[in-house]
Amino acid sequence: MVFEKVLTAYQEIPNYRGGMDDYLAAGGYQALPKALKEMQPAALVDEVKKSGLRGRGGAGFPTGMKWGFIPKGSPRPTYLVCNSDESEPGTFKDRMLIEEDPHQLVEGIVISSYAIGCHQAFIYCRGEFVHGARVLQRAIGEAYARGYLGANILGSGFSLELTVHRGAGAYICGEETGLLESLEGKRGQPRPKPPFPAVSGLYRSPTVVNNVETLCNVPHIVTRGAAWFAGIGPAKSAGPRLFSVSGHVNRPGNYELPMSVTLRELILEHGGGIPGGRRLKAVIPGGSSAPVLTGQHLDISMDFESLAAAGSMGGSGGVVVMDETTCMVRVGEIVARFYHHESCGQCTQCREGTAWLHKTLRRIEHGQGRKEDLDLLLDMCDNMKGKTICVLSDAAAMPIESYLKYFREEFELHIRERACPFAGQDAP
Amino acid sequence: MFSEATKKRFDEMVGRYPEGRSALIPILHEVQAEAGHLSPEAVEWVAAYLGLSRADVMSVASFYDMLELEPVGRHMIYVCQNLTCALLGAERLIRHLEQRLGIRMGETTPDGLISLKRMECLASCGTAPAIQVDGIYYERMTPEKLDDLLLKLRTGSLPDPRTLDTPA
Amino acid sequence: MPTLKIDGVEVTVPAGTNIIEAAKRVGIEVPHYCYHPGLSVVGQCRMCQVDVEKTPKLAIACNTPVAEGMVVSTNSPKVEKARRAVLEFYLLNHPLDCPICDRGGECPLQDYTMKYGPGESRSVEEKVHRVKHRVLGPHVVFDAERCILCTRCVRFCQEVPKTGELGVFSRGERSEISLFPGCDLNNAYSGNVIDLCPVGALTSREYRFQARPWDLVRHTESVCPLCSNGCNVTLDVRHRQQGEQLLRIRPRENQAVNRWWICDEGRFGSLNLADPGRLHQPTWRAGAAPATMEHADVLLRTARALRQVTEAFGPEAVGCIASSRLTNEELFLVVRFFREILGTPHVDFRVRPIQFPDADASEDGLLRRTDKTANSRGARDLGVVPGPGGQDVAGMLEAAAQGRLKALFVLEEDLVSAFPDRPVATALGRLDLLVVSSLFPSATTAAAHAVLPALGFAEKEGSFTNFQGRIQKLHPALTPPVASRSLAEALAEIGFDLGRDLGAVDPEQVWARIGERAGPYRGIAWKDIGPEGLVPEGQSGN
Repeated sequence: MVFEKVLTAYQEIPNYRGGMDDYLAAGGYQALPKALKEMQPAALVDEVKKSGLRGRGGAGFPTGMKWGFIPKGSPRPTYLVCNSDESEPGTFKDRMLIEEDPHQLVEGIVISSYAIGCHQAFIYCRGEFVHGARVLQRAIGEAYARGYLGANILGSGFSLELTVHRGAGAYICGEETGLLESLEGKRGQPRPKPPFPAVSGLYRSPTVVNNVETLCNVPHIVTRGAAWFAGIGPAKSAGPRLFSVSGHVNRPGNYELPMSVTLRELILEHGGGIPGGRRLKAVIPGGSSAPVLTGQHLDISMDFESLAAAGSMGGSGGVVVMDETTCMVRVGEIVARFYHHESCGQCTQCREGTAWLHKTLRRIEHGQGRKEDLDLLLDMCDNMKGKTICVLSDAAAMPIESYLKYFREEFELHIRERACPFAGQDAP
Repeated sequence: MFSEATKKRFDEMVGRYPEGRSALIPILHEVQAEAGHLSPEAVEWVAAYLGLSRADVMSVASFYDMLELEPVGRHMIYVCQNLTCALLGAERLIRHLEQRLGIRMGETTPDGLISLKRMECLASCGTAPAIQVDGIYYERMTPEKLDDLLLKLRTGSLPDPRTLDTPA
Repeated sequence: MPTLKIDGVEVTVPAGTNIIEAAKRVGIEVPHYCYHPGLSVVGQCRMCQVDVEKTPKLAIACNTPVAEGMVVSTNSPKVEKARRAVLEFYLLNHPLDCPICDRGGECPLQDYTMKYGPGESRSVEEKVHRVKHRVLGPHVVFDAERCILCTRCVRFCQEVPKTGELGVFSRGERSEISLFPGCDLNNAYSGNVIDLCPVGALTSREYRFQARPWDLVRHTESVCPLCSNGCNVTLDVRHRQQGEQLLRIRPRENQAVNRWWICDEGRFGSLNLADPGRLHQPTWRAGAAPATMEHADVLLRTARALRQVTEAFGPEAVGCIASSRLTNEELFLVVRFFREILGTPHVDFRVRPIQFPDADASEDGLLRRTDKTANSRGARDLGVVPGPGGQDVAGMLEAAAQGRLKALFVLEEDLVSAFPDRPVATALGRLDLLVVSSLFPSATTAAAHAVLPALGFAEKEGSFTNFQGRIQKLHPALTPPVASRSLAEALAEIGFDLGRDLGAVDPEQVWARIGERAGPYRGIAWKDIGPEGLVPEGQSGN
C-alpha cells in the first residue's frame, strides 16, 4: 500500500533539516493562524473529537474526549503537558518526530493549548533524549522569535509559554500521573485515581497530558478537517499511525500507515521481511507491554479494536519481530527484567511481583525451572493485574501470560531439559 | 558551593515554573554535568536552595537512572539491554566492553575514564544494538565499532557517530 | 449524610468519609498498612482492597469516599484472593525474624497473615538481604529487611514534626527507607514512628528485647505528667519476679489533646520510676542525721511538731508549697488541710513564672508546652493560692528566712534547685519543721526534718487538668513500693494525729466534695470524667 504521508511528509523533502525556514517552506504554521483566528476553542475540541484521533502513546484514549474533560470556569490555570518520555521498548517514533520535525509538534502544542485554554505548556522529554531536547529548545526559540509562542500570538490575544523539561531516566514517568509527579520535582510515582489529571493534574490544576505523535496530528486536522482525518483507516482507529518496526526484519524503522494495514503487510512489505528467509516465530505489536502474537495473527489489521480482539493491544505501535532462532523464555526474562527495573515500588503487587516474575523466568532460562513454576507464574500474573495504582503491574503480567499461552512447550522444555535449548544465544 | 553565575542560572530555572520545586531535576542535571556526580554536599546545597529536606532531595535523586550519587568516569557509556537490542547482540557488546576495559557493567575503569551502565530501551530499536556515550547515540554497534570508539575516547574526543570505523 | 452497607451492616457517616473509617464505626476492621487517619493518603500497600458493588475493579477503602447506597464487601472471594496475594507478596522477602522481633505478638503482618494470608511459601528465590538493626537516632532502630515500605514513618516526619529526616531511596524492589548520610532521626517526636510502623522495622531502643506483648500484664490509661499538655498515654507494665516494671509508655488517641502522638520526652522520660535512686523509706531528722522510720512514726512526729508550732505561733506560722505536679485530688486535700483545717493562708504552687496564667505557651507548635508541670490549671482552678493576707512562694521563703514562718510543707518541688540565685537552703535551715514529699532525694530533702517518699504518676489514681481546662484521669499502673503512702493518706494521718478529720481521700469521694463547691468544677462527679477527659461547661477548651 502506498500511503500519502502526513506526519512524515517532511521526509520527502530533500535536505529538510526541520528548522523554522524549512518548516515554513513546507507549509508549516498555517494551521495555527487558522485555528486562532477562525475557530473558537470549543469548536476546535469538537473538531478533534469528530476526527476520531486517539492517543498515540499507548492507551489509545480519544483525544477530543480527554480535552473535553477539562472543567469550564475553574479558578485554577489549565496546563498542557506533552509526553515525550518515549520509553516503551520497541518504540522510537516520538524521538524521530522531535529530532527531525520539531515545529510540527510545537504547532500542535500551540493549537491544542488554545483549544483547552492553556497558557503554559510543558514538554516532558525523557532525559536520554539529550539531542532531542536541544532540537526542541532551538525550535521553541525560533517560534518565540517569530511570534508563534509568547504573548498575543499572531495578534490573536492568545498567549502561551512553552518550556522543555527533561526527565532523568525512569520509564514510569511515561505514565500520566508519574510524569506529573516528576514534573513537579518529585519521584515519578503515579497517583491514585481519581482524581484524574483533567480535574487535578499538574500543581493540582486541570491538566491534559498528550503524546508527541498525538499532538503532531493536530495541525493536520485543523488544515484538512476532521472528516479527512476520520477517513484515514478504520473508523474507530482513524488517522495515520507511526509504527516502529524493529527486531528480525530487513528494514527496521518508523512507518507511517493507516491502521488498516495488516501485520503481514507491515512486516513483510514495509519491514522487508525476515533476514535470511527465516520463519516468523513471534511478534509484539504494540511495545513490550502488549501480549505477543504469532504467525497465525498475520492478517490482523493494526487497529486498536482488532488487536484487542486478538488478545493484544495497539499500545505504542512498537512492533518487534522475532524469528525462529528466538528463545521465548529468554524474551520473557528480558521483558520481566525491564519491569522489575522500572517498577516505582509503591504498590506491593508490582514491587514484589515484578521481581518475583523476573527471578522465576531467569531461573527457568538458566535451567533451574520447576514444573510448578509455570502455573505459579500464571497465578502471579493474575495477582498483579487490575489491583494497583497504575498499570505497570498489568504491563508486566500480560506479556508473560501470552508467552505462556503460545509457547508453553518451550518453557516446559527448558524445565525438562534443565537448559535453554537455544543456549549460546547471546546470554549474559 | 556554586558560582554566582550558576546560582543565577538556577534562579532562572526556578522562575520558569509556577512552583519552584519543579526545577529540582533540571538543577540536579546541571549540578551533575558540572561536578560529574551528585555528592552529598551537592545534594545538601540543592536541598537548602529549594527549601527541601536533604532526605527529600536524596529520595528524588536516587529514583532516577541517569542521576549518579557516586562518582563516575569522565565518559558514561549506556548500553541498552532491552528487547530488540538484546535480540540483535547487546550482550555480545557488553561482554566485549567488559573484556576490553577489564570492568563489569555498573563499574568505572580504574583510571576514571569510562563508566559502563546497563540501561533499558533508549528508543533506538530501529538501529539496534544501540548505545549512548555522554548522551550521544551510537547505533548499529558492533564489537569493531566499539573498539574504534574506545580508541577515540582515549585520545580525549567524543567521535562523531557517523565516523566510527568498521574494518572491511 | 450518606448511608451505605458494609458486609450487610448499614452505616451512616458524614459525606467524604472513606470506607475504612465508615467500617470502623460499625466495628468492621478493614485490614490496612499504609493508611493512617493522621497522615496523608497514599494508597500504596493495597491491603485495604474491598469489593464495591457495580464497580468492576476492587477499590482501596482508604481512598474511596462513601456514597449513598453503596454496597461494600470486605470479604468476597475476590477480596480474599487479592488480599491473600498482597500478603504473599509481602512475605516473599520478609525475614523470618518473628522469634527475635519486638513486634511479634502484636504484629499486623502476623495477624493478617494468620487470618487472611497463605500458610506456606511458594517462593524458592533467595530473599533480598538488607541492613539490619541500624540505629537511626537516640530512640529508634531500623531493620530494612522487615520494612514493608508503607512509608508511614516517612510521611510522619514530613507532616507532623515537619523535619523530613526519612526518605525512600532508590525505586522498585530496590527501594529502601533511609536517612540522608550523616543525619540521624532525632526530632522531638521520633518515637511515634515506632507505633506507626506496622511491623518490626522500627523498634524502640529503650524497649528492645525487654518483653513479649503477653508479658505485659497491664495496659493502664493515664496522662503524661511532664508538661501542661497532658497527652493521653497507655502504660504497659511487665510482671517480673522481682516486681513490676513500667516498660513502655504509648500515646493514647485523644483528638482534642494529642491526636495520636506523644513527644519523645513523654514517651521515654517517665520510665525511671524503678530508678534505684528513688526514695523508698520515710525519714525523720531530729539532729544532724536522718533516721529511717515507719511511716506512722514519721507522721506522728510530724503531727507533734506541727502542733507545737501552731500552739506557739499560730497557724499563720505554717505554710505549704504544693507542686502543680500533684493531682487535683491531692491539691484539693492540700487546700482543705492547710487553709481550712489548719487555718493558714500561706498556700501556693507557683514556684516558676511559667505557672502564672497566660505565661504557659506552646513550645514547638505541636504538643510540647513550656510549663513542665501537668496540673497548673488544676491548681489554679482549685484555688491553691494564698488566702487573704497569705504569702506566695517567694513570700513564704522570705518569711522562713526571717523566722516568721516556722513550719513549711514542700510537696514535690525541689525549692533549692528552683531558686539557684536565692539562699533557699539557708531559709529552709531556719525552719522548726520542714516536711518534704519527693520522688527523689534532693538538696531540699537534705534540709528536711520529715522526708516522705512520694508516689510517681504511674502509681496514682487521680486527675490532672491540662492547659485547655480538660480534666483527665490517671490510673495507677504500678503498685507503689511497700513503704509508700499516698500524699492524701499522709495528710489524713497527720490530721488524725492532730485530732482532725480530713475526710475520705479516694478520688470518687474527693470529687463529691469538689463538686459541691463554687468554682469551675462545680457539679462534676468523678464518674463524669470519661477516658477522653472532661472540659467543664463554660471553660475555654483551649
